[in-house]
Amino acid sequence: MTGSPRTPRPRTRRAGVLRPVAGVVAGLAMVGAALTACGGGDSNEAGTKEFLIGFQGPLSGENQQLGINAYNGVLTAVDLANRTGGLPFTLRIVASDDQGVPEQGPTAAQKLIDNPDVVAVVGPVFSAPTKASEPLYSQTGLLSVSPSATAPALTDLGFTSFYRVIAPDTVQGAGAAEYLAKVVKAKRVYSLDDRSEYGTGLSGAVERGLKQAGVAYTHDGINPTKDYTSQATKIMADGADAVYYSGYYSDFALLTKALRSKGYDGAILSGDGSNDDQYIRQAGAANAEGTLITCPCSDANTDPAATGFVSEYKKVNSGLKPGTYSGEAYDATNAIISVLRKLGTGASRESVLADFGSVDFPGVTKRIRFERNGDVQGSTVYVYQVKDGQRVVLGPVSSLVKP
Amino acid sequence: MKLRRPAPRRSPAVRSHSVRARKAQSRRAQLRELRSRMARPGAARPGGVPWPVVARSPAARRLGACLFLAVIAAVVTGPSGDADRPLAGIEGSFTPARAAGFAAGGLALWALSIGADRLTTRLRSAGHGAALGGGRLAALGGGAWVTPAGAAWASFRRGRWAAFRRGRWSAPAGNLALLAVAVAVPPLLSTAAQQALVSEIGIYALLALGLNVVVGYAGLLDLGYIAFFAIGAYTTAYVTSADAMPWHAPWQVNPFFALPVALVVAAVAGVVLGGPTLRLRGDYLAIVTLGFGEIVQLLANNADGVTGGPRGVFGLPPLSVDLPGVHYSWGLRPLPYYYLLVVLIVLVMVVFGRWERSRTGRAWTAIRQDEVAAEATGVATMRMKLLAFAVGASVSGFAGVVLATKQFFNPQTFGLQSSLLVLTIVIFGGMGSRLGVVLGALVLQGTAFLLRDTVPPADRYIYFGAVVILMMIFRPQGLLPPRGPRAPASPGPAAAPERPAVPTERAGAPGPAGPAASTEAAR
Amino acid sequence: MGSAEQISQLTIDGLMVGALYAVIALGYTLVYGVLQLINFAHSEVFMLGAFGGLFASRALVPAGATPSGLTSAGLVLFGLVAGALAGAAAAYALERCAYRPLRRRGAPRLAYLISAIGASLFAFNLAGKEFGRQSIPVPDLFTNGTVVTVLGAEISTQSLVIACTALAMLLAVDHLVAGTRLGQSVRAVAQDAECAGLMGVDVQKVIVVTFVLGGLLAGAGGFLYAMTFNASYTMGFVPGIKAFTAAVLGGIGNVRGAVLGGLLLGLVESFGGYLFDASYKNVIAFTVLVLVLLVRPSGLLGTRLGRPA
Repeated sequence: MTGSPRTPRPRTRRAGVLRPVAGVVAGLAMVGAALTACGGGDSNEAGTKEFLIGFQGPLSGENQQLGINAYNGVLTAVDLANRTGGLPFTLRIVASDDQGVPEQGPTAAQKLIDNPDVVAVVGPVFSAPTKASEPLYSQTGLLSVSPSATAPALTDLGFTSFYRVIAPDTVQGAGAAEYLAKVVKAKRVYSLDDRSEYGTGLSGAVERGLKQAGVAYTHDGINPTKDYTSQATKIMADGADAVYYSGYYSDFALLTKALRSKGYDGAILSGDGSNDDQYIRQAGAANAEGTLITCPCSDANTDPAATGFVSEYKKVNSGLKPGTYSGEAYDATNAIISVLRKLGTGASRESVLADFGSVDFPGVTKRIRFERNGDVQGSTVYVYQVKDGQRVVLGPVSSLVKP
Repeated sequence: MKLRRPAPRRSPAVRSHSVRARKAQSRRAQLRELRSRMARPGAARPGGVPWPVVARSPAARRLGACLFLAVIAAVVTGPSGDADRPLAGIEGSFTPARAAGFAAGGLALWALSIGADRLTTRLRSAGHGAALGGGRLAALGGGAWVTPAGAAWASFRRGRWAAFRRGRWSAPAGNLALLAVAVAVPPLLSTAAQQALVSEIGIYALLALGLNVVVGYAGLLDLGYIAFFAIGAYTTAYVTSADAMPWHAPWQVNPFFALPVALVVAAVAGVVLGGPTLRLRGDYLAIVTLGFGEIVQLLANNADGVTGGPRGVFGLPPLSVDLPGVHYSWGLRPLPYYYLLVVLIVLVMVVFGRWERSRTGRAWTAIRQDEVAAEATGVATMRMKLLAFAVGASVSGFAGVVLATKQFFNPQTFGLQSSLLVLTIVIFGGMGSRLGVVLGALVLQGTAFLLRDTVPPADRYIYFGAVVILMMIFRPQGLLPPRGPRAPASPGPAAAPERPAVPTERAGAPGPAGPAASTEAAR
Repeated sequence: MGSAEQISQLTIDGLMVGALYAVIALGYTLVYGVLQLINFAHSEVFMLGAFGGLFASRALVPAGATPSGLTSAGLVLFGLVAGALAGAAAAYALERCAYRPLRRRGAPRLAYLISAIGASLFAFNLAGKEFGRQSIPVPDLFTNGTVVTVLGAEISTQSLVIACTALAMLLAVDHLVAGTRLGQSVRAVAQDAECAGLMGVDVQKVIVVTFVLGGLLAGAGGFLYAMTFNASYTMGFVPGIKAFTAAVLGGIGNVRGAVLGGLLLGLVESFGGYLFDASYKNVIAFTVLVLVLLVRPSGLLGTRLGRPA
């Protein structure tokens, strides 16, 4: 390692404060001791049995808002179950932050796997960390239910403990394309994505659907930026009469703003990543008016069946309204809780995983039943529209396209 | 502000080296004057009303700093606000109980720091018979080493330490002990910690070792270093798997063969980038490398048909040994990757250690200290800089192989933030010191890992940022800076600046940042 | 593709964004000129300025109101001043906490860069904690609409306000640096800090003034930016990098160079995104940067603040 010195080296006091070797050893020992200390499980059983539900998602970094939305959904479900569920055990959440990036995925997943009291995981929230973490979950046999990872390929990669309560992009893309072709009656669609895995997956699916329906389209991708001014000019010049943006709401809001300020009068659409009231707020109600959002989910905020969820969510999360993926995370957690309820205090990772495939219960975003590969059954794509500053459900695509 | 005429806008573009050297000589006196004035801003305005002496005293100043720290700590640990109630978080941070608690904490910190200073001063001066008052004064000023007591203490430590270091076996023994710790401790840790040791610490240590060649040895500021890491990872995908990426080699090889391939490809990429851009100096080079990093990331993300774009690269075969009779796969467990990384890191450190002391290493040092002078004395600066780029890049090729065989990656992994993180590790650990940068990776990334469980995750990087700032304030030369200038062993303010300021064309005339650096940072 | 109308529209788009880049780039350039230091945390000064202006204008404009005429002008001015003050305060705090202690201890130059990176992480995450992680729109300060049509390009009130304000600030700074006593001392320190100190210039004060000046500009620029692009805790990073690029493109340390670089970068992005796939916008911008630097290794205008390149 460090070369042996040939001459005595002059050292100032400053450099001598930390003697290299001793310092390194001490540092190693400290970090090591701390790391070991963190590895221990945390079963503080006071009479009743306690199960931990893991959560893996971005809780820091650029994408943390989506992770926080989902986390709050999990929190709501667990809180509700502990208070009113009449469970023979108590539930607790242990969160593990993956920042929504793949390189943090394995460590985040491993933290949950290392904790023997974790019987199931809600997450990962994003597709890329899912690919990075899922091999570990599958190897351990720890159930993970993603509320929001929509990349179509995820269920074909051979993961044995992966389920998701959200339909893959292909489902939504096909529905969105059908709606564009038959209801919007677009002659030419400008399909723009944010160059993320989610965005390119969705735009690809939309474009395949448009191709089948015989609608012309222009594909373009733009990395999330704040400045969509020149992009709007480009769209205006393209002459498309509908824009479909595959990406998240904060960018869709800015795109909408830019398009409106250029006087664009075609249809403006986006997907489930934009299905959030924040979109209307950030774009401005006047700009957002009339824009359309497709989502393979019924909306928790407006669905009468879900009013209980919304009021609970607000209560648990100090007045916040559910955001993108909150409802899905709530459903995923409740699916896990339903299995735990059935298994009782004897539940283990193996039994939870074994029984999860047969879950069937009405969630707030959709009925939760799974295909063999872990995809959620059913493919109803709903269309929302902003009317008078509110998101309103127009209905499922299948009924909207019928005259 | 007494200048009457604007300063001349243009002066001769190139000063000869000797002129520069003379100027540096004559400047030392000026520097001392400047520093003393900067330390006593009150004295610099003869016309103004001087601040009360008490408020300017070091103790009062330190009290202010401690209370300020307490306020910051209160806000950071306090509740969160949101856009509709932007002040809610701050109000919540200063409930009477909290305010009192943090004020007490600040005062305690102050008392502690003053007390510790006095104690050390007393111990030192008691042990060496130096003037107590002088020592105490110096400690209060935070500059103990310029006083007799401090000097005595420093020389004592130097002597004892040097005696220890002179022992023939001490250095190898120390290194072996470190290696033993590095080998023996990880199996005792949790698997999550092992994961972090591989993908957050080990890989970044390797990257930092590579960047250390570019920044620490040759003094070139590279802000796009992570691009070579990306190139290494994608090269691995190209040669080892037929279906992970749309674009792949006509035949697939065992991942171990990806190591030399990635090394060569990354090194070539280093030369390709360096060729046209190394003519640029200082911060112009920094921005061009930053641009290069961005371009590589964007190309990886946009070229769906080649790299798979944002879908990333999934399903590369793990490292494995398939010899007749020996079959071993690295699989998914982190520990085997950790030991592989230990081997690679030790290998790289040993090789670079030889290199550092070779003609090449001395050439890099010369370039870092003064490129014009180096060129004048016959160093092939361009070739040496290219070599530094290529060598640095090749190491990150290794890191790319480990990453790619261990886990899924996508272009997000190779963002500017990662480049900045590697650079932070290098400076944090001690630029130019191999053991230092590895230690930097361990401490900095280990801190990030520990913060996972100790603070709310959303606030993790507030603490991380604070750690980085505090470290730079209290130990700007890094955890374990390289030992002093190699040739002349003349310490003190008169020594030539070992590393005044990375790449600047004005090596002889650093800005206000520089003058102090040249005196205090001299080792 | 590319009728005269579109070309002029793209030009206007590019110049508008470019003007904002230029305003931020000035902060980089001034600090660089004086300290030879890439102030990586400048982007957070920009972000905090945006929040300052945002909260000030939200305090004055009731929800749903659509001010017009002189009221609008007053509101914009108020927001700008609030943003500038917030930016200046942030820049001062930055200098005080993350740079001055290092200067006092004589840290090597790269330590400043790392300290700046740490400060940036600290500041934007703290802003996320205090102000929430959603982006927040600035209230509409005037009724939106097209006011001028140039060669078929429509210019909205918003763009006009931004362009005029940015221009005014750029001219003011240019005058300040080139033609006032304060600017003289800034240039003197930039040229040779020690000599300037010996000549009686208060170097410490000049450094503070430079930071505060950069902070004023970035803060006001942040508010202008947020008027169109909303404010959020992560808003600083990308424009910060762009502005840094612009500053280098024009010749870092050179006030007019920063302006030129900013406008040019805006144009390159605007046309690059139009002519090619928009996801290559940054590739094109950085390629242009590399090409320019290969031809002119010290940026377009080359000279530094009061010093030959």
